[in-house]
Amino acid sequence: MKKFVFAAAIISIFAACLGVCAYAKGPDVIRIGVNAPLTGDIPKVGEGTKYAAQMWLKEVNAAGGIEVGGRKYKVELVIEDNEAKAESAVKATTKLITEEDVLAIVGPQASKQAIPAGGIANELGTPMISPWSTNPDTTKDRPFVFRGCFLDPFQGPVVANFVKSEFGFTKAAVLYDVASDYPKGLAEFFKKAWEGLNGAGSVVAYESFTTKDADFSSQLTKIINSGAQFLFTPQYYNEVALIVQQVRQLGWKKPIVGSDSWGSAETVKLCGKDCYGSFFSTHYAAAGAKGATREFIDRYQKAYGYVPDDVAALTWDSVRIVKQAVQNCGKLTGDMKTDRKCVRDAMAKIREFDGITGKMTFTEEGDPIKCAVIVRISDKGEFEFYKSVCP
Amino acid sequence: MESTGDELSINGKLKSSRVREFVAPIPLLSWLLGALVAVALEHYIGTSFAQTLGLRKAPMLFGFDIMLKQPTLIHSALTYLVLIYFLPIIVVARLSAAGMNGLAAILIDYPLMLTVLIHLGMLYAILHWWSNMSLYRADVLRFTLIAVLLTLSLNLINGYMGEFSCSHPGFMALGAYASSVFTLGLFADDRVFGPALLPQWLGPYLFPVALVLGGVVAAVGALAVAIPSFRTRGDYLAIISLAFMFIVKSLIENLEFVGGPRGLGDQPGWANRPVVFVTVVLGIWIINNFVRSTLGKALNAVRDNEMAADAMTVDTRQTKITAFLFGAFWAGVAGGLYAHALRYINPGSFGIQMLAEGLAMVYFGGLNSVYGSIVGACSISLLGEMLRPLELFKWIIIPLLLILVMIFRPTGLIAFREFDVKKLVRPKQASDR
Repeated sequence: MKKFVFAAAIISIFAACLGVCAYAKGPDVIRIGVNAPLTGDIPKVGEGTKYAAQMWLKEVNAAGGIEVGGRKYKVELVIEDNEAKAESAVKATTKLITEEDVLAIVGPQASKQAIPAGGIANELGTPMISPWSTNPDTTKDRPFVFRGCFLDPFQGPVVANFVKSEFGFTKAAVLYDVASDYPKGLAEFFKKAWEGLNGAGSVVAYESFTTKDADFSSQLTKIINSGAQFLFTPQYYNEVALIVQQVRQLGWKKPIVGSDSWGSAETVKLCGKDCYGSFFSTHYAAAGAKGATREFIDRYQKAYGYVPDDVAALTWDSVRIVKQAVQNCGKLTGDMKTDRKCVRDAMAKIREFDGITGKMTFTEEGDPIKCAVIVRISDKGEFEFYKSVCP
Repeated sequence: MESTGDELSINGKLKSSRVREFVAPIPLLSWLLGALVAVALEHYIGTSFAQTLGLRKAPMLFGFDIMLKQPTLIHSALTYLVLIYFLPIIVVARLSAAGMNGLAAILIDYPLMLTVLIHLGMLYAILHWWSNMSLYRADVLRFTLIAVLLTLSLNLINGYMGEFSCSHPGFMALGAYASSVFTLGLFADDRVFGPALLPQWLGPYLFPVALVLGGVVAAVGALAVAIPSFRTRGDYLAIISLAFMFIVKSLIENLEFVGGPRGLGDQPGWANRPVVFVTVVLGIWIINNFVRSTLGKALNAVRDNEMAADAMTVDTRQTKITAFLFGAFWAGVAGGLYAHALRYINPGSFGIQMLAEGLAMVYFGGLNSVYGSIVGACSISLLGEMLRPLELFKWIIIPLLLILVMIFRPTGLIAFREFDVKKLVRPKQASDR
């Protein structure tokens, strides 16, 4: 008897729920996918992506959604974790496209996930914009794939030109991770640019290490003894702290220059005073920002308690580019294939997009033409705007 | 209090034995038929049925995603699972049991190959229909099958040979790179290797050659670990094999012609569902035959006591080297499939994380057992995929499960069990246990 009552109760709950809880999804919803490394090696990157996207979502839905062709569409975000793995990034992208029916995808961030994921997005005809991937392969020959940042072949010369014009140095030292795609590529582009400016042999020390190394004393001693006038190290925030602290301990007082991978909120926290006074090239500068950039930083800081890093800023721009493209598309038919194509075409046509990381216009490859910013880490540990370098 | 406890346990036992009685006479053919009906049902009415339940689409991967992301829809997902999967499978399997037992009894008189092919054909039809619902399912299926092959090849060394090998990601990397260089060099207009040397249409036919080449290269690389393994055992071999993995990773990172740390991309996507399925089934079949052969038994003897095995005329050196190369070969093949399924490889992927996943699959499923490898690889890959919405908690739950398995079944879920195909496909009687 008890059993029977129990079974009846369960069945009736189910039956009742079917009518009440079931919600039919109206056609007036646009779904945007976010593919971010929420777990794995670079969780801070994933967090920045997620927060920026969620902040955007709140803003858009507070305004009643995106208006396309005179109709308001509510927006839903589908956030997938790619574990900072290539395989998972591909699975997450496939899931977003085929199971979640998203109109466009923002992410993945790191190139090693963005390259394979971009292949899938392009094959399945879904616009994807990677805010942070700087590897040329991500967008190469892929009409559906875009990015929100400048590329390594641009950044290398920017750093070289900046140092040349600012200090007039002629001898450079480079320390980079040979096992990681981004530092290695950038180190090569920098070397080429520097030798173009100062002649062959002007990179007097070109030292490398392997990911997860923690002791750089032998490379740094070589660099110090080489007579280089400054050190360029395009590394991620955790290694930057180790390298800079160790080289300062060894008595090096000359300038240290970095790249956009320094631009994390963690860099100064880990590195402390040793990093003050260093320069790096990046996408935007938080301290001393004005206008829309200031507004974004303030809102982000209020909501999540820290100054957003470049990943958050680039994600913010990328989701706004998606929004702009959806609006420019003019009309959504409800057929995913046509709509995605329409959004892609609209995105490719965007001119002079006014982002918080600079004005952007996409090239045919889907790469933006935009300015780089040189940032100085101030004596208070803030990222201070120093100079803007445009292509 | 005690008496009620006893009653309960008796009651529980009674129930489980009733379930067993209900299930016992059902042959494998009936289960397959039931599953076939279920996936057919899903294929034809799944989407519309899901929509009447208030779901947007047929729930992927058994509804876990929906249950975790939108708890208010749990009941819909459960209803869907029961009505589309559970009930049809049970009902069809039970009803067709008598007929299928008769069919199995007839088939048993024919060569085993025929029976096996019929079963495999049905299995493929089920997987095909199931994964046709969306590309995501197809992707999960492919990577799970590849994980099965990798786990099996690792089990060969860690389970059957009883050594702790950490070099499998290295073997897989060798296989992946060798086969990618082969296909990219010959059939694709690539930036690194120049224009295609052979016409495109020939490619899929030569893909098996690429896979075998990947396997052979991995096996040759395995020699570097196999030779020191004559002298060392246990921890020392583990260290040597770990070193080998790092050597391979650094080697590829410094080889500019395969892209270095940038990785190698745009492999032709020839590792589609049928190719992966056939390769993996072939791998399971050959590995299963290997471990049940004299050589396989010799391998077990070496594991249990090398000196005794030597005294009993087992050539321990040859046995170990064969097993090592054999295991590495299949890891290389798995790597070739992986490269052409993912269509992008970089040395960073073949590191500690992949090793940890592979070892987890082997030890979760069970040592020294083909069943165990299949179960372990499927459950860890599917769990990883199903619990993805939990983000960080996923990395707590899966290791916790692993710890629980290690406490209650120290050798894994299904360890030391022989994979006897004949026993699997024969007709069942109610008295069978």
